[in-house]
Order: sequence, then C-alpha cells, then structure tokens
Amino acid sequence: MGLETYIIYIVTIVLLVVSFFKSKEKTVRGLKKGVKTFLKILPILIPLFLFVGIILALVTPEFISNSLGESSGIFGIAFGLVIGSITFMSPFVAYPLGVELLENGAAYPQIAGFLVTLMSVGVVYFAAESKFFSKKAAIVRNLISFIGALIVIVIVSVMY
Amino acid sequence: MKTYLKKNKFLSISVVILIVMVIVDYTYAVIALEKTLDQLVTMLLIVPPIFVLIGLFDVWVPRETVIKHMGENSKLKGLLLAFFIGAFSAGPTIAAFPIAMMMLKKGAKYSNVFFFLMVWSSLKLPIVLFQVTTIGLKLSLIINLSMLFIFLVGVALTDKIFTKEEINDIETKAIEYSKA
Repeated sequence: MGLETYIIYIVTIVLLVVSFFKSKEKTVRGLKKGVKTFLKILPILIPLFLFVGIILALVTPEFISNSLGESSGIFGIAFGLVIGSITFMSPFVAYPLGVELLENGAAYPQIAGFLVTLMSVGVVYFAAESKFFSKKAAIVRNLISFIGALIVIVIVSVMY
Repeated sequence: MKTYLKKNKFLSISVVILIVMVIVDYTYAVIALEKTLDQLVTMLLIVPPIFVLIGLFDVWVPRETVIKHMGENSKLKGLLLAFFIGAFSAGPTIAAFPIAMMMLKKGAKYSNVFFFLMVWSSLKLPIVLFQVTTIGLKLSLIINLSMLFIFLVGVALTDKIFTKEEINDIETKAIEYSKA
C-alpha cells in the first residue's frame, strides 16, 4: 500500500466521523449504499481478475524484456503498443521495468508506447467498461488513449 | 447453460485457458490463480474507502450542487474539478467506474466524467511523481503533456462523437446502477 492509500483511508475516516455526528441516519444510509455499490461490482470483478491473472502468468516482466529488448523499429513499436494495451501491470512494476529495458539498449519510442498504452489503454477492462457505460464509450476512450500513445511515439522519435 | 456461458464470456474463456494450462504445464495455472488472488487482496485493501466515499457522496451532496459545479453549464470549472478528482486519487481504473457512475447520476456533464476517467487512468499524481523519479522528467513531460492534450481534444469532441440519445442511455444506466 502506498502513501496515497493511507491518505484516502484517513480522509474517509475523518469524513465518516463528521458525517456520523451530523446525521447518524444519513451516515448509515450512505454506508449501505457504498456496500451495495461494491457488491454490485464484484460479479464483474472476479472473472476479470481471473482473466488478468492468466495474462500475468503468461506475460511476465521477463517475457516483456525479452520481446521488447530484441525487436526494434516499427515492429518493436507495434509490439510494445499491443503488449501495453492487453496487459495489465502495476505502475510500480512497469516504470522500473521500462528504465531497465532502456538501460539494456531498448529504443525510447517502443518503451514510451508500451508504458503509455499499459497505463491508459485497458483491453481487459473493456467488458466491464462496456457494461457500466456503453460499448461505444469504452471504444472511444481506449481509442483516444491509443492515439495519445501514437503522438507520444512520434514526439519521442523526434526528441531522442 | 449456453446463455450462461454467453453472458459470462470472460469467465468461460478463463476457465478454458486454465484447463489448457493444467494439461500443458500446471505451474502456469498455479501462478495465474496466485495472481488472481493477489489482485483480489490488493483490491480489498485499497477500494473499501472509495466505496464508503461514494456512499457518503450520494447521501450528502445534492444533485443541484453537482449540476452547478460539473453539469452542462459548468464550463472550465467543471473540467478543472474533473481533472483534480481524477489526479488526486488512488486505485485501479476499475475503481473509477462506479465513481463516474455516481457523478453521472448526480447530473455531471458526460464530457467532464469522460475526462475524469481518462485523467484517472494515466495522470494520477502519485503515479506521475513515481514516473518522474524513474523514467526522468523529459520523458514524463512528453508523455503527460501529450496525453493531456489528446484527452482535451477528446473532451472537445464528445458532443460530436456521441449523439444525445447515446449520452442519455449512459445517464439512464447510471441512475439504474445506483438504485437497487
């Protein structure tokens, strides 16, 4: 758990106490709503986590460094984008991995494309996102982020 | 059975892959299940306060307030609020979906909610700080400024990309979601 998690816990507890003193009835109602919202998301989450677990078992950091380290040029960039879009990884693992790959001779554009799509394009979230909003909303959001990754690649190619 | 499998594509596909893994090399299946459990535990540690906050927000913040600050006529203020809520947050993108639904239910403009989701996914402040310390300031700046730019283009085009009916449908879903 990072610092931000502790901060969110503290803020939540403070707000909960304030809320409780202001209105016990409203606080209980709010808590009930929160629990319900959480329970509603669980049936979507558990299959999703199972799927992500499978991806994580197959696409390990070693697998990524082998593939991204060797392949270069347009192919390497495309590979980075695809892997970044379909995998899911904690940023605290991803960024150090990116640095390590760069130090081992990987090119900047493919690492940048990989990192950006990893963070903002979530093909694994697609089903959940479609269920919450709509299929189109999920496609558009992911597409915008993907275009963002392409822009980043172009700028990085020019600047490095 | 057939409709059940169709409805739970993710679960069905996952189970099939797991079975294949067990046959080919069961250690993969073990790792996959371990990673699944890992995520579940992380989720259970990080997200409870988020859902408590969603509940409190629902009972304390009136719809009028949200409409005023993030609604149709909120202009730049709504956009800035969406940015700050997204940037000062923690948790995986999936935790942002119920928050976005709550905003929509309370009358926030769709493009603002859309912006909030995109900021949450890639411009979270704690992550950006970590990013700068690992991949360096230059690369972080290129990435974050480009993403911010394309997100703003997306926001500006929201009304052109989505029809009124499509946005209404999403808003109806948001109201349904927080009901039962």
